[in-house]
Amino acid sequence: MAELTYREAVAAGMQQEMRRDPNVVFLGEDVAAAGGVFKTTVGLLEEFGAKRVRDTPISEQAILGAAMGAAMTGLRPIAEIMFSDFFAVCWDIVANEIAKTRYMTDGQVKLPLVIKSGNGGGARFGAQHSQAVENWAMAVPGLKVVAPAFPADVKGLMAAAIRDDDPVLFFESKSLYAVKGEVPEGEHIVPLGKANVVRQGSDVTIVALALMVPRALKAADILKQQHGIDATVIDLRSLVPLDTQTILTEVAKTGRLVTVEENPRLCGWGAEISSIVSEELFWDLDGPIVRVTTPHIPLSAANNLEDMQLPNPERIVASVRQLVD
Amino acid sequence: MNSQTLASTVNRGPQAAISTETRLKLYRSMQECRVLEKRAYDLFMQNLIKGTSHLALGQEAIAAGFGLAMQKGDYTFCTYRGHNHTLVRGVSMTEILGELMGNASGLMRGKGGSMHLTSVKHNMMGSYAIIGAHLTIANGAAWSAQYRGTDQVAVCFFGDGTTNIGAFHEALNFAVIWKLPIVFVCENNLYMEYTSIYDVTAVEHPAADRASAYGLEPVLIDGNDVDVVYRTAMRALDLARKGGGPSLIEAQTYRHGGHSRADPGKYRPDEEVQAWLAKDPIPHYRQRLLQLGIGEAEIKKIEDETKAQIDAATETARNAPPTPLELADKDLWADGGSAWRN
Amino acid sequence: MNVLMPQLGETVAEGTVAKWHKQVGDKIALDELLFDVETDKVSMEVTAIAAGVITKILVPAGATVDVGTVLAVIEESAGATAAAPAAQPAAPAPAPAPVAAAPVEAPPPSWYAAMPPAMNQAAEQYTPPAAAAAAPGAAAAHASAQRDSHQRLSPAVRRLAAEYRLDLATVSGSGRNGRITRRNVLEFIQTRQSAPTQVAAAPPVAKLAPSPAAAPVARAPAPGPVPASQLGTKVAFTRIRRLTADHMVRSKATSPHVLQAVEVDFHRVDQVRKAVRDSWKAKHGHSLTYLPFIGNAVCRALQDFPHLNSSVEGDSLFLHEHVNLAIAVDLGAEGLVAPVVKSAEKLSVAQLADAIADIAHRSRTNRLKPDDFSGGTYTLSNSGTFGTLITAPIINQPQVAILSTDGVRKKPVVVETSEGDAIAIRPVGVLAQSFDHRAVDGAYSAAFLDRLRRLLETSNWSVEV
Repeated sequence: MAELTYREAVAAGMQQEMRRDPNVVFLGEDVAAAGGVFKTTVGLLEEFGAKRVRDTPISEQAILGAAMGAAMTGLRPIAEIMFSDFFAVCWDIVANEIAKTRYMTDGQVKLPLVIKSGNGGGARFGAQHSQAVENWAMAVPGLKVVAPAFPADVKGLMAAAIRDDDPVLFFESKSLYAVKGEVPEGEHIVPLGKANVVRQGSDVTIVALALMVPRALKAADILKQQHGIDATVIDLRSLVPLDTQTILTEVAKTGRLVTVEENPRLCGWGAEISSIVSEELFWDLDGPIVRVTTPHIPLSAANNLEDMQLPNPERIVASVRQLVD
Repeated sequence: MNSQTLASTVNRGPQAAISTETRLKLYRSMQECRVLEKRAYDLFMQNLIKGTSHLALGQEAIAAGFGLAMQKGDYTFCTYRGHNHTLVRGVSMTEILGELMGNASGLMRGKGGSMHLTSVKHNMMGSYAIIGAHLTIANGAAWSAQYRGTDQVAVCFFGDGTTNIGAFHEALNFAVIWKLPIVFVCENNLYMEYTSIYDVTAVEHPAADRASAYGLEPVLIDGNDVDVVYRTAMRALDLARKGGGPSLIEAQTYRHGGHSRADPGKYRPDEEVQAWLAKDPIPHYRQRLLQLGIGEAEIKKIEDETKAQIDAATETARNAPPTPLELADKDLWADGGSAWRN
Repeated sequence: MNVLMPQLGETVAEGTVAKWHKQVGDKIALDELLFDVETDKVSMEVTAIAAGVITKILVPAGATVDVGTVLAVIEESAGATAAAPAAQPAAPAPAPAPVAAAPVEAPPPSWYAAMPPAMNQAAEQYTPPAAAAAAPGAAAAHASAQRDSHQRLSPAVRRLAAEYRLDLATVSGSGRNGRITRRNVLEFIQTRQSAPTQVAAAPPVAKLAPSPAAAPVARAPAPGPVPASQLGTKVAFTRIRRLTADHMVRSKATSPHVLQAVEVDFHRVDQVRKAVRDSWKAKHGHSLTYLPFIGNAVCRALQDFPHLNSSVEGDSLFLHEHVNLAIAVDLGAEGLVAPVVKSAEKLSVAQLADAIADIAHRSRTNRLKPDDFSGGTYTLSNSGTFGTLITAPIINQPQVAILSTDGVRKKPVVVETSEGDAIAIRPVGVLAQSFDHRAVDGAYSAAFLDRLRRLLETSNWSVEV
């Protein structure tokens, strides 16, 4: 075991797979010489060389198009979109080309590519650089979507994403980059489509993703210590494929579900979970399903405003207390 | 690689000889393209081809010229007006018609349709419906060849309208700075959908006049002269294969029909249409072959054979069973399925 | 950060601040003693879960306030930059206030200063609390005793109530405004199951006390724990045993059982049995027992007494159109099963005999299908193989009656002849019916049993085989 930061774990996962498979290549803006603007790919250029780790111009469409063309013709590329907000600039390549080409060609084409991106708020970057857009990706058939919360999962899911023969969007939480965690040394894979119960409780089930997971855990501690409410916390980790079974099993135990998402109020991933649970577990619910989300407003830059907008442990605690009686 | 650029070798210097054998192949290829597109037109009028179809009648010389110049390992990327580009890579007429008719005999068994013809086994890496996107994707295939150290080249066909979209500019810049083995071919048929290209483009020659912005030599050719196309293609491919980087070729041509089957093309002036019909690449080349001493019988043989080919293909494709319904949720993922949950 | 009045017990709704250990303006460290709190049950010391400065004390010593009231405010000493979000670490970690997570071992890399603060601070770091949680008030909070007149019944509560046939008026709710929660229902069910006798509030009509007998009757589990001094071996319930136990307890809890019995002279049945014994066995592959005769007679008797072929549904009795006869089969270690012969009223004795033999065989060879278990309306339990006198069987829910056939043996009986009374040796056996007193009364059941007996003793059985 080694203690790594979240950002180091990104590089560790890529490094593990690039050592293993010479067909894994990497391109993006400032990813090579600078090691990434968020320093998530430090050391890769030095180890793997300029042929495999390449800097690009500011051309999101060209970056993702190149990744797709390379994936169609034998390579396993990783592409970086620096801020996930920029997916809007190249969404055609993601949603119209990458997501659909295998299907439209009757399975002739295989696209084993990974797109990694800095996602989410909390860093005071303002509305156009702070969005959490994993729900955009979840809404397009043909894309796999993961968003880890802990360094061990960062490394393991990155490795799994690279090994996956389908397109995987790998969302990194910018506000978690400095967080530390125990990461297994040696080969480490965390399979896609498997949620993780990070805290077992009995009164309510909280489902969270990425930045919201440590916040949910903090909320769970407050709930237990100050209000005698014992919460289960599930780290979803993977939106597509979705580990519906773990969610349903855990909610059946408590009869209560609260989702905590960083997406804006409308059409965040929590809405989908809520819908699935209310349809498939209706007779086991002891109360309504509650979603804790960012309000349906762009994120503000000011500290206090952004802190108020993003779900924080206090807001999670308040929502749970209202639900649990 | 010497310092001579592609443009200079095309516009100046000796013309490379083209063998009779090659010329006959070029003629055959154009003829196959012509009968295919005409048949597609007829079947559409008979309501056997549904949806939309973008025909390249009149633009056969570009597809045929490049098709013959390319090697088996080279990659084709083209737009939704791609039936000919698919045919010249060796895909059967039956599979193309079947895909247009949307049944089990189709190249993708009806799942993709006219705008997305793809045959990976022929290295025909797809027809793309969103303007400009495939230029960036073709770059990826070229990068892959470069990375793997093969001598494959990606050839990317697109229309004049593409030169005004963002992805075109991103792709050109990208290809040049990475010196990718790729040939960009702009089929300038003078009209971007229903609008004259000149009305919407800042420069006169939509592709050739932009080449220098990316450090490339301007190459402007008669896209209806298949010999010119063939020679230009050979040189551009050779340049790329030897590590000389990308080319941008503007081939002027004209489409005989409208933008799509739904469009009768009434926005083009009659004299213009007549003038270009007179420059139809196929009768022109037929004339040249006769002048070069190739016999009428041999030419007629090609015409008869291609007619028989298209008739047989039509018969097979028409009588094919419908696409099995089970295919609807297959092949979203590499494992053949489409599950998003457990 | 607000310091709240903690909850110190399940039923505790308020607390008294006994003593403050700090004043306004004092600094306080994590885990440092802050105040003492008292309730009528307990008194304890409360430590700070955040470090900082006490800026307000809102409730003086000696005051009693509701649980959750803000008692004081601590201004936390946050990290160097204001970028850290307001979230406090809820864990009493040994280190003081959270600061930037810059690695102290090595000097930060050169790009560090250019990185936005949020990406260089581990403000989002989650550290799990120490194992010994400083947690008072472990149980779920109670709301005030005010009862919600709408009685909000959640889907989970409704489903459980339906499955276990509960009258929710008898379940107390501990949720907000007296809401009945899922937990309340589950606990209610568990309490009920461990003491079944107190739920059978049926009027004492039973004339015969239920006697302990062989299967299919299970004994109620012993109340209370077994003293550790008792010597013996523990045999864990198999899944079948557990399911049987659950079903039996629930059945007794649901239906007020009454036992009635008749003594039947099987003389005429026996005549026919003996007459065809060998040819029957040769032709059908099994022996012709009393059971199909009894079954046939039951079906005919039920035509006249349909209320015993029914199910209780809320306030009504649902009379079944057909007699789907469930036949209890003892599989020994595999437990009991009761596969069903559907529409038995349409079958002759011979057909019924074959059907019973078939399901018995398939039961023993594990070839029963789910459909074989569904739809039973009346059950026959053949306890007689061991020659018992009488059995008080447990009703197979959701039916309302079950008949036990015990041993048939030769006995001297009084027969009326034209020459007066005489003694004859006849094969006699007791048929005992447990019925659900919600569905019918004793007279009805007795009349049915009388009819049953007459059918068995007087029918022309030879035409049935």
